[in-house]
Amino acid sequence: MGFIQDILTSFVAIIPVTLAQSLILAFVVLGIMIPFRMLNFPDLTSEGAFPLGGCVCGVMLAAGMAPLTGILVAFIAGFAAGCCTAFIHLRFRIHTLLAGILMMTMLYSINLRIMGKSNLSVFGSPTVFDWVPFARPGFPASKIVVAGALALLVFLALYMFFRTEKGTAVRAVGANPDMAEAQGINVWAATIGGVGLASAFSASSGALMVQSQGFADVNMGLGILINGLAALMIGEAVVGKQTVWRQLLAPFAGAIIYYQLVSFCLAAGMPPPDLKLATGLFVLAMLALPSLKRSRGPAPAREAIRE
Amino acid sequence: MLEIRSARKVFYKGQPDEKVALDGLSLSLATGEFGIVIGSNGAGKSSMLNAISGALVLDSGQILINGADVTDMPVHKRAAKLARVFQDPMRGTAASMTVAENMLLADLRSQKRTLRQGLNPARLAAYRERLAILGLGLENRLDTRVDLLSGGQRQSLSLIMAVGGSPDLLLLDEHTAALDPRTAEIVMRATVRAVDALKLTTLMVTHNMQHAVDHGSRVIMLDAGRVRLEVAGEEKANVTVADLIGHFSVKTDRMLLAS
Repeated sequence: MGFIQDILTSFVAIIPVTLAQSLILAFVVLGIMIPFRMLNFPDLTSEGAFPLGGCVCGVMLAAGMAPLTGILVAFIAGFAAGCCTAFIHLRFRIHTLLAGILMMTMLYSINLRIMGKSNLSVFGSPTVFDWVPFARPGFPASKIVVAGALALLVFLALYMFFRTEKGTAVRAVGANPDMAEAQGINVWAATIGGVGLASAFSASSGALMVQSQGFADVNMGLGILINGLAALMIGEAVVGKQTVWRQLLAPFAGAIIYYQLVSFCLAAGMPPPDLKLATGLFVLAMLALPSLKRSRGPAPAREAIRE
Repeated sequence: MLEIRSARKVFYKGQPDEKVALDGLSLSLATGEFGIVIGSNGAGKSSMLNAISGALVLDSGQILINGADVTDMPVHKRAAKLARVFQDPMRGTAASMTVAENMLLADLRSQKRTLRQGLNPARLAAYRERLAILGLGLENRLDTRVDLLSGGQRQSLSLIMAVGGSPDLLLLDEHTAALDPRTAEIVMRATVRAVDALKLTTLMVTHNMQHAVDHGSRVIMLDAGRVRLEVAGEEKANVTVADLIGHFSVKTDRMLLAS
């Protein structure tokens, strides 16, 4: 009994810290979901865009810039990275995944160039989390409030956007690019803009993370993609993806649940090095589930796989 | 009005399997005219439609719609002038979106898309009215995802989407070929009604000789990438299936079965 109580105590103690972290990382999950689900453009850029945002923000903070400026510049840098990935795919007809891998690999060098070294401490610099008046700096409550407010704002803005005429057109590009083009929609513009926006969110997440943890590291993106995918899968399993509302809610709900689960596993004594294996197996299981359900029938059609 | 001036397109140029798809094809279709395009497989029917819609870039030649040269215009820019119904019902609609959202996309084909809300009550009412014409009950399924509709329903929806907003040119690419005979008849009747009511300039590709005899004001037969025969006016009114088939250099089973 005492053993279980210990686990629970240590898990409950870090719930707020994990919540703050998951709200920040929810933006990466969003950055994975938008290309994957809305644009039918499976994209790996986030693995490079997340540290890109972190490095850019770190350098800005070290140079004494305002924390919000750091996030905005990271957002723009991420947008540019995403645009490049989409352009590589569209112009050279390179598979989206390969385009993403290329971009992510090149970004590693760029990130190192931006920082000039692999690690940069910005501890003590002002952060956007200092703005909450009633919380002491560094205490997770302020992070939860700021990151939560940002998440809510982005969620509502995107929900409104995808219901507009332009937003519907962007979704059509993901649903059926040939048809979208025949309906007068500029597929290039929508894809480049959409993937760019997604990477911009991933980069913003990196910038927030740097402000939260007090340092930027060129390796901070390692494995972020698979974590984000796992979070997305959980979110979609919990809130669904049938409507735009649910599909947009899934990354946020998924991030919150996923990181609590991880924290619980760690509290229960799971060795941290095994975490990636466990996460990978989980994502695999979630992706494999639909084909396992129909194991007796023929392999699912292409259309079904995309679902 | 549609005008094609000596359009030429060669696939795999300079290679052993070089194929001349369009060999100086010229064609003009007056405003309000309903042209039926027939021809055996490989005659250049699809290449011609693709060239008109912009999916295929010509090696040489010109394409004019209502007097405007659209030869160098990308597909999405030409969409303001023309609408197309594909043979495959899957291609003409966005499967994961609802009936109403698909109608909205078509509705905005020739307009600038804004940041205003897409589906509003006024639009939904208009879509309901337009879909009711089909008599398939689609007007009550505006919130249904299109992938839950049958092939015939999807194709009917594609048709309503295409004729909405009275495009300058309507392209029908064997749009009833993938449907069962009864549904094909429903879609064909709806097509004729819309084309007549809106006086649309229409180009329809078909392998169904009966359709070619029954509908349209002119039959255009393609062969080896150029116009081989045109039947119009009095002659078109009296033409029979047997007459048309007699003109084919290569008779396919499909054509003979259709007769």
